[in-house]
Amino acid sequence: MRVEVQNLSFSYDYRPVLRNVSLSLESGDFLVVVGNNGSGKSTLIKCILGINRVPDKKIYLDGMEINEFRKWLRIGYVPQKLDDFNYEFPITVNEIMHVSRYSKMRDEEKLALFDRMGILELQNENINTLSGGQLQRVFIARAMVNHPDLLILDEPTAGIDSESEAKFYRIVNDLNDEGVTIILISHDLKPGKSNFNRIMRLTDGRAKTMAASEYFEKGVD
Amino acid sequence: MELDPLVLMGFIRALIERQFMQYALITGVLVGLLAPMIGSFVVIKRLSLIADTLSHFSLAGLSIGIFLLNILRLPIGDPLYVGMMFAVIGALLIEALRSYYKNYKEISMPIVISLGTALSALFISLAGGFNTEIYNYLFGSILTVGRNFVYIIAITTFVIFVLIIIFYKRIVIISFDERYARLLGIRVGVFQFFSTIILGVVVSLSIETVGVLLVSSLMIIPVAAAMKIGNSFKTTLLIAILFSEVSVILGLWLSYSFGFPSGATIVLFNILILLLVIIVKKIFTSPHAEEATTFESEVQPE
Ligand SMILES: Nc1ncnc2c1ncn2[C@@H]1O[C@H](COP(=O)(O)OP(=O)(O)OP(=O)(O)O)[C@@H](O)[C@H]1O
Ligand SMILES: [Mg+2]
Repeated sequence: MRVEVQNLSFSYDYRPVLRNVSLSLESGDFLVVVGNNGSGKSTLIKCILGINRVPDKKIYLDGMEINEFRKWLRIGYVPQKLDDFNYEFPITVNEIMHVSRYSKMRDEEKLALFDRMGILELQNENINTLSGGQLQRVFIARAMVNHPDLLILDEPTAGIDSESEAKFYRIVNDLNDEGVTIILISHDLKPGKSNFNRIMRLTDGRAKTMAASEYFEKGVD
Repeated sequence: MELDPLVLMGFIRALIERQFMQYALITGVLVGLLAPMIGSFVVIKRLSLIADTLSHFSLAGLSIGIFLLNILRLPIGDPLYVGMMFAVIGALLIEALRSYYKNYKEISMPIVISLGTALSALFISLAGGFNTEIYNYLFGSILTVGRNFVYIIAITTFVIFVLIIIFYKRIVIISFDERYARLLGIRVGVFQFFSTIILGVVVSLSIETVGVLLVSSLMIIPVAAAMKIGNSFKTTLLIAILFSEVSVILGLWLSYSFGFPSGATIVLFNILILLLVIIVKKIFTSPHAEEATTFESEVQPE
């Protein structure tokens, strides 16, 4: 999916968080967003996801103005904090997938996805019995259940062990190879982990974007 | 239970021979199904206050109905209709206040509950003060429901059943993770609006069974017990309905046999089941119990 952000400024209750941010991603791009705490990373992706309302003609998804955009199933999202959902709710991993799925997926496909995410044996577990890392993988699988063309991940590897992390990057890289556009917020830029080709640094709501090759040659800042 | 078997026989004979008992049974079974079914979404959404709020608001409608019927002699049929209307109005008021107080949504409940209670007190006094009718609305009187009521509740149950089956996935995802439901493009606001109204209707119908003061327990306690046992949402829901139906039938039996208020007996059976579940669960998950079994299996020779 193509993503186009044009001179976007955004404030929460008059407090400016994003200042004149622009971004242009082609289908199949892999963007990593970095920046200090509070620099506006999560805010930017919430704008792209339609969680934060933005004025007309600021964001385009596949050429469609965001306030007209309706095909939200084509975007997968893993939020930064996983405590947003209702812990009291008795529900299994399988049920979460079932109620989140609104496009066709055959049973074998579903099981393959579970297997890929390493949650096959957690299928019938109650959500409350999962560890943080397991929960993370469940939510990544949920983000992929509707075959998204754009996957947005907000610090998805925070708090998961290095083995799961390596597995996770392999999956994201594979998806990107299959043509899924990726936006990944992450502090971890070591080459060889994620195959990003673009990088954006946010400083106090101002964005600076460059190609990954340029970043590794000259560094940023 | 150490009761004379004849009492049980009497109850069964009454069920076969007496029409009012058949109405009571049908009503009980349908409310026993509806309340936990709706409740499994309510408890979970931390909205248990809504049920209490709507039942108190519905009581205002019921007292206004009694006033119109008994004092002004208006041919409104049954105060129940005014009660239902008020439950729906209460639901709309909650929704309106929730969108007005965006950052303090729950404040809408105390406001609506106060209005409902105040109106109830006012119209109960205007309608001639406390009487059996009011007592029945407060504590339930399943043994006095009429044919019309049975029709209304049967139709309501059917409609709600169909709605839940059609929108099952959407309702569950909204209850589990509202934010994600929005991201999936589900119109959460519309669903919440209609579910509050449906809740209002179910609450006002449940008042006949257990009364204003106990409606919320009917929705919450079986679910609370089931949550301790169920793993998935589906099993929790089924167990909650089972607990609820058992309580309704046992409650109805005691209520008929000894003249106890039906609401009280039904709710007390629900609480008894909850206690049993908690105790049984404690015994089976206590660390000592586990130790004992491992120890046993270790000393056991092949
Ligand atoms: N819903 C909100 N209402 C008001 N202010 C907010 C809201 N969400 C974020 N902010 C503020 O906006 C600023 C940017 O927050 P944001 O979450 O986008 O930062 P971030 O770059 O994702 O930080 P982190 O690395 O900690 O995740 C912060 O100062 C934060 O306090
Ligand atoms: Mg953030």
